[in-house]
Amino acid sequence: MTASTILVHRHTLSSRIAITVALLLLAAIPTMPFWASSGQIRLIIELSCLIAIAQMWNLLAGYGGMVSVGQQAFIGAGGYSLFVLSVYAGLNPFWSVPLAMILPALLAAPSYLLLRKLDGPYFAIGTWVLAEVFRLVTGNLQVVNAGSGMTLRAMGQFTAHQREIGLTILCALLLLITVGGTFLMLRSRLGLAMTAMRDDPVSAASQGVNVGRMRFGIYVVAAMGTGLAGAIYYMAQLRISPSSGFDPYWSSICIFIVMVGGIGRLEGPIVGALLYFTATRLFGHYGASYMIVLGLLTLLIALFSPGGLWGLFGKLRDWPWFPVGHRLEYRQRGDA
Amino acid sequence: MVTPSGQQTQADGKEVLLSVRNLSKSFGALKVVQDVSFELARGEVLGVLGPNGAGKTSLFNLISGDIAFDTGAITLSGTPLGREPSYRRAMRGIGRTYQIPRPYAKMTTFENLLVAARFAAGRSEREAYLSCAALLEDCGLAGKANLPAGGLTLLDRKRLELARALAGEPKLLLLDEIAGGLTEAEAGQLVSLIRQVRDRGITIIWIEHVLHAVMAVAERLLVLSFGEKIADGKPQEVIDNPDVRRIYMGIEA
Ligand SMILES: Nc1ncnc2c1ncn2[C@@H]1O[C@H](COP(=O)(O)OP(=O)(O)O)[C@@H](O)[C@H]1O
Ligand SMILES: [Mg+2]
Repeated sequence: MTASTILVHRHTLSSRIAITVALLLLAAIPTMPFWASSGQIRLIIELSCLIAIAQMWNLLAGYGGMVSVGQQAFIGAGGYSLFVLSVYAGLNPFWSVPLAMILPALLAAPSYLLLRKLDGPYFAIGTWVLAEVFRLVTGNLQVVNAGSGMTLRAMGQFTAHQREIGLTILCALLLLITVGGTFLMLRSRLGLAMTAMRDDPVSAASQGVNVGRMRFGIYVVAAMGTGLAGAIYYMAQLRISPSSGFDPYWSSICIFIVMVGGIGRLEGPIVGALLYFTATRLFGHYGASYMIVLGLLTLLIALFSPGGLWGLFGKLRDWPWFPVGHRLEYRQRGDA
Repeated sequence: MVTPSGQQTQADGKEVLLSVRNLSKSFGALKVVQDVSFELARGEVLGVLGPNGAGKTSLFNLISGDIAFDTGAITLSGTPLGREPSYRRAMRGIGRTYQIPRPYAKMTTFENLLVAARFAAGRSEREAYLSCAALLEDCGLAGKANLPAGGLTLLDRKRLELARALAGEPKLLLLDEIAGGLTEAEAGQLVSLIRQVRDRGITIIWIEHVLHAVMAVAERLLVLSFGEKIADGKPQEVIDNPDVRRIYMGIEA
């Protein structure tokens, strides 16, 4: 056997720069109430929630191979948790936000056990049916005002400035947890298993990866991250209703953002969310014809660049922002 | 022929690593493995022959746990495997390659090995880095360590299948047509690699159509036809068996 000294590199110059910039941006978000307009802050809150929800969908579909069209189930569950905790338990809404991850997790665990036997399209349909069930149940529950929805009156105790400070801090934490947390997870031993599963679950199982348990974990974690984003989003809206919280449109957005940005890559949902967000600001007022353009764009990317925009960019320049891989370098070869 | 004796040892006193008893599996009406029994001693190299569709790959899938058997029993080092899923069998030391290579296409060659080292072999990060880097050198893949596995040539994919299975530190290695589709010279390289593996004491079952390749390493041959075992014994005896000759006519020169 030959022996050589080896080095394993996990970062690149581009990733060091990107991570520094990302952390600076995150730190800048909570300072916005002191220099930005309320309109700009609202945009950042929406963008943060989109990135978080899309990143969770990427985890689910890109790594877990579970294409869900029912993530609105957990957006609504997270949002409603916050409203119920604030209205009935009288908790400070800001402190209730982390607690809003509990219900999505509790709902996700049995949902997964129901869904796990379903394959591909059947799984997708199953997630959609579940989300519709949640919407119908919520729409008929008198404690949550049934179809007319709830209002977050408790926010009235804060000034607009205080609310903005609270929300921007929450957004920074949301991104730190969903993007930063996914990054750290993907770089760990579990991430190796998740990346292997993404490429070939059968091989992964034959090399010792408990694919079933990994999928369960991913499903529950994605539900929690999605619920957290839902809570923050509807906190900013100040009201929630079954038709908005459980709107299937949330899933369409996820699919668009992740497919166009690049599925199975951490950077994909960020690029996709920025594109969707910008396009919606610029062309949203065209209504239906704008939706057709978005749909066509998804189709074109699916046909010609399955790796999405990030995959296209990766072919031109190998400049990862959040690398999760390993680059092996052999040094000083010699005989043992 | 091997006569089954006690749980742990064969008649000649060798330790039994794998015991397959009356194993059967059907897909609907199609019986792909029928009442197959054999034992394998630790360190033995068993070649498996049989025409296409004979059930060879299915036999591997049953042993590795990729599919569940209908009836019978599979025992590894005295432990019945029952319905244990494939990931647990991998951790017990059953490693396999796939006839049609199944690399993690978007991961690098090095990372493909890391998965097996960290999970099947349960190695720490540092240990996995070292063992996988060494294996890549042994298997002639060091120069391609950082390339996505999906872009490798057929020979390199076959090498990767072998290297990745070895990274899991198997006690029992299942090789499925690892020399198929390769040139004479390429197959020769693989044979010498497999010899090295055998010399490390790893027990091997090798399905192969390239007869001279498997004959160069195997000390015993088993022949399957329509899911049934029709011969099992010393290579030359099996090759001279009239039933085997009839089945293999025109398949192998
Ligand atoms: N998952 C499956 N479902 C249905 N039939 C299968 C499946 N896997 C294999 N078969 C069938 O079982 C038979 C044996 O296949 P296989 O074990 O791959 O043979 P071999 O490896 O000897 O060529 C073939 O007829 C094949 O079509
Ligand atoms: Mg086969």
